[in-house]
Amino acid sequence: MAELADISNEFIRQEIDEFIERADERARIVSLFSRSSPAMQAIAAALIDGDNELVDELTGSALAAGTEALEVMDYGLIAGMAIVGVKFRQNFIFVPEVLACARAMKAGMKHIDPILSASGIEPLGRVVMGTVKGDLHDIGKNLCIMMLRGAGFEVIDLGVDTSPDAFIDAVEQHKAHLIGMSALLTTTMPNMGKTIDAFIDADLRDDVKIMVGGAPVTQEFADDMGADGYGKDALACVALAKKLLGVESRT
Amino acid sequence: MNSRDRVLAALRREPVDRTPVCNPTSVATVELMDLADAPFPDANRVPELMARLAETSYTELGFDSIMPVFSIIQESSALGCKIQWEQKDNWPTVKMREPIWETPDDIRIPPDFLTHQDTRCVIEAIKLLRRRYGNEVAIIGKTMGPWSLGYHCFGVEPFLLMSLDDPGKTKLCLDRMKEATVQFGLAQIEAGADALTLPDHATGDLVSAEYYERYLVEVHKEFAERLPIPLILHICGRTVDRMPFIAQTGMAAFHYDSKNQPAESMEAVDGRVALVGNINNPETLFSKGTAEVRAEVYKNLNARVNLVGPECAIPLQTAIENLKEIPKAVRDWHREQAA
Repeated sequence: MAELADISNEFIRQEIDEFIERADERARIVSLFSRSSPAMQAIAAALIDGDNELVDELTGSALAAGTEALEVMDYGLIAGMAIVGVKFRQNFIFVPEVLACARAMKAGMKHIDPILSASGIEPLGRVVMGTVKGDLHDIGKNLCIMMLRGAGFEVIDLGVDTSPDAFIDAVEQHKAHLIGMSALLTTTMPNMGKTIDAFIDADLRDDVKIMVGGAPVTQEFADDMGADGYGKDALACVALAKKLLGVESRT
Repeated sequence: MNSRDRVLAALRREPVDRTPVCNPTSVATVELMDLADAPFPDANRVPELMARLAETSYTELGFDSIMPVFSIIQESSALGCKIQWEQKDNWPTVKMREPIWETPDDIRIPPDFLTHQDTRCVIEAIKLLRRRYGNEVAIIGKTMGPWSLGYHCFGVEPFLLMSLDDPGKTKLCLDRMKEATVQFGLAQIEAGADALTLPDHATGDLVSAEYYERYLVEVHKEFAERLPIPLILHICGRTVDRMPFIAQTGMAAFHYDSKNQPAESMEAVDGRVALVGNINNPETLFSKGTAEVRAEVYKNLNARVNLVGPECAIPLQTAIENLKEIPKAVRDWHREQAA
């Protein structure tokens, strides 16, 4: 069994020691980093620190040195986001810090994406995300998208004020099997149900899993509307997406 | 005591004959719009309709206050933000994906800020309500704080990233935007407002308590000094961790959310600021019945919360019966205590 001492990067060791409290998460993250190279740990550390310029530089250097793009993504960027996600869920960090980490992730993925696309490597899953019709709030949805991308999913972001037809069109166009809907307003929550009904009317409900979330949304509400799942925060959204699509992290 | 006296005394944390039922944020519903013939979106833009819909909190629901601002868009609209006005069944919203400012130097309060249709509407509605109701009911205005204006005018993500990347620039932005808060607040006071709700959404769902202390304590102290009527700070979400800081600002009251328990919140503020709240909106007022509403009212009263009301702007489809239950439950609780 891997131990904290097996991780060479001191910052990563400190982060795990200080912030990862749940035994199962700690074991998984320690195991992940114990298998990663010092260069990948350095990328993860820069990402956790929200340093987009350093992530940009280190990712470029690692690829130039011959490290596989998938390794950089899984053991550098995604591994770093795993710690960020837990810190956010446990209120050790808040949205500004997560936004900075996501910006750093993006700086790294800028190098990785073209390589993965050219090599035909499939993402963990493909998810269509949007805030429902009549609702212009998107910070919650965007945090979910950052965490989903940070976990290896491809996300099609439909933005805000998304009509049921737009969800359906996106699912068909991108051949996605999972959609995520967000609402912040109690007045727009019912539009989640209307979107689910639209999938039923279009005879597509069985082809797609539907997850919902947002500050006023509850498990009870999600069940009443006929959603397949409810996530109370961005990390729960990632776990739910994996569960609904029946996929596991590559690492 | 009449309703106005009761609310103002409670805001001063002085003795009252019974706990006031207060709405620092909107209690407008579709049902009340029909009753008053004052539907959205016009009730957000036409003073007479705004006043007519607002007064139903007193005339129909039996609350001790009238609050004529149903959304959070009025001053942002006057500052130049684009608004999606929606229809009767939804609130108007600022199009935050289309920010109007990027740097502190962009911040400009337009010369017509207080004569713009959407700020003037509030000012005129308050005048109408004051003329109609004199001193019998508390009339509460609303002026948005600079943190919330930052979300609207800079966009949520750019503003929050700026707060991390450049605290000096963020403070400069807050310093400049706060003048809009003060100008709109003073205009409402002149129009006859008894108190002002001051939403400034530095919520625990987005930022830390340390952020509140770093960026907003001093700004909020300044508001308490420059706006010479009771101020009711409103922040949604989990806030108990920042309540001790809020209690230092000189605000009269804090309008708190149901994510915070009444007893723990009273302990956090330790008598230094009045609490208003915190009947849950989506799960209780919107989705459940009068028994559940009553239970939450009692929970607040048992904790000795100073003023009772919904936690935030109530869902527009909320049943009137659930809202009427709040003052009924307050009266019953006091009757039971007296017996």
